[in-house]
Amino acid sequence: MNVLRVSKWTIAAFVLPCLIVYVGLVFIPVLVSMYSGLLDWNGIGTSKFVGLDNFKTLLFDDPVFWPSVRRTLMFAVFSMAEIPVALFVAILLNRFVKKPNFFVSAYFMPVILSVVIIGQLWKTIYNPAAMGGMLNQVLEQIGLSSWTHSWLTEPNIAMYSLYFVALWQYLGYHTLIQFTGIQNISADIYEAAKIDGAEGLKADWYITFPMNIPIFKISIVLAFIGSLQAFDMVMVMTAGGPAHATDVISTHMYNMSFLSMKYGYGSSIATFLVALCLLATVVINFIFNRLERKYT
Amino acid sequence: MSQTIPVAGVKPVAQRGKQMFPLAKIIVFILLGILLVTQLYPLLWLLIYSLKNNEEILSGSFFSLPSKLMWSNYTDAIASGNYFKYLLNSLITTTSTMVLVLLLSSLVSFAISRFRWKYGQLVMVLFLIGMMIPMQATLLPLMLIFKEMKILNTLWSLILPYVAFQTPIAVFIMSGFMKSIPHEIEESAVVDGANVLRIFWSVIIPVSIPPMMTVCILTFINIWNEYILAATFISKEALKTLPFGVNSFVSQYSVNYGAIGAYLVLGALPVIVIYFLLADKITKGMVAGAVKG
Repeated sequence: MNVLRVSKWTIAAFVLPCLIVYVGLVFIPVLVSMYSGLLDWNGIGTSKFVGLDNFKTLLFDDPVFWPSVRRTLMFAVFSMAEIPVALFVAILLNRFVKKPNFFVSAYFMPVILSVVIIGQLWKTIYNPAAMGGMLNQVLEQIGLSSWTHSWLTEPNIAMYSLYFVALWQYLGYHTLIQFTGIQNISADIYEAAKIDGAEGLKADWYITFPMNIPIFKISIVLAFIGSLQAFDMVMVMTAGGPAHATDVISTHMYNMSFLSMKYGYGSSIATFLVALCLLATVVINFIFNRLERKYT
Repeated sequence: MSQTIPVAGVKPVAQRGKQMFPLAKIIVFILLGILLVTQLYPLLWLLIYSLKNNEEILSGSFFSLPSKLMWSNYTDAIASGNYFKYLLNSLITTTSTMVLVLLLSSLVSFAISRFRWKYGQLVMVLFLIGMMIPMQATLLPLMLIFKEMKILNTLWSLILPYVAFQTPIAVFIMSGFMKSIPHEIEESAVVDGANVLRIFWSVIIPVSIPPMMTVCILTFINIWNEYILAATFISKEALKTLPFGVNSFVSQYSVNYGAIGAYLVLGALPVIVIYFLLADKITKGMVAGAVKG
């Protein structure tokens, strides 16, 4: 129970500065954006209220929109598929390695670098061999010249090249999170299980997995929400091209708002994105609350 | 009786490791080693790449070392891109954001966790919702607002939204910590006649240094690396932050491959140096920051 009884003015002095900045620069813009989604507006001239027309166009008449939603969701699926791998690595580290922190910190290194560095680095790696691209040079040297591609400009593989970079960058993050989770499981539990005859994989199945469900949730939320918001990496590496082949929801929004100057339409995409993020958070929390109740 | 008696403080996981076959251990180490290569080799490759001359880069031997270290790539990069200018801008932006986030969020967290008032929970929920809102959804309205306020193309147009978007996680971490501080502390302070500001400043803040460190680290990593807002709100060359500067340099300077590599290394350098110094703190902070939702 909080003990400090203070006047309204004191509360205001403590709360308002932060709340004003936060509401003014996060909430109000989102509300403005929701309203702008109902306008036909190029950002400069007069705006016209068109109701839900933008959303109608978005959902039924925009050839770029649904493919971009599909890519965004695929992004989320791939990112989540990486988490069991991270968990496996974390279990191995915890069990076999005496100084696991070295590996964890090394795997984590790409996470702290800016997307610009990561994106440009991989652009260089994906370059054609004649331009010094590592990947194609490796393929040529091991005799797989037929496998070389221009990884970011062929429409049917460009998106996969992007997924891969994101997976590469965030593997260390998920490994770190899962590793921390496992380390927090009390050693007594494994001792008790050992006496009952559960060791190794069996102990993982009956102890590590269920005990780690809350940590799993953290990774899932991070991967899912992160993928829905996947933006800067795509902007740095392809900006949605070639010919919209790598457009995700947020790059589509950006291109519509800032390049095509359709402010109203771009805002309706932003509204869709915000709604999707909130919905995803609610659904994931709901699923995991049930899981946690069942297994812990 | 061959049963081992668990020794306090020794992890059973370590004990189990000793009982495994050496073969299994070798396979595990090979696996972890491969992962080490895939995660770190691209970064090492970039470093080598940045020290080669153009012919060596184009000749196609990706693993060869440069015959002569081309430090001139670095001097070229620094001379033709405003590296130090960008670095300074990033430093100013990140530090200001950090200070403001710490100040504002510690005030609110104190109010949420220690005051007896009706709306504390409501304010907390408001901040929790904010963690789910994608920054890019506010790009357009923010640009219009900043244009009105005439601060577009100044560092304020970055610092303000950075502060706003960092506060939710900061409030979440700090209020969680402050709730766990025993209430007896401020009870005795009240008895001693300390006022609220005094309690905040001399009692709560000194014990809240660990979560403040976490907030600092999270803010640093997020803001130092931020690219989209900077690229949207800033167009003056003299105000670009490091990620934006690196990106525009690399996209414009397309023939001198070595210099591009050098610029990327220079761009990564500040964070890498700090990571080498504070790896443990940074990984801990990032785990704390992952706990959203």
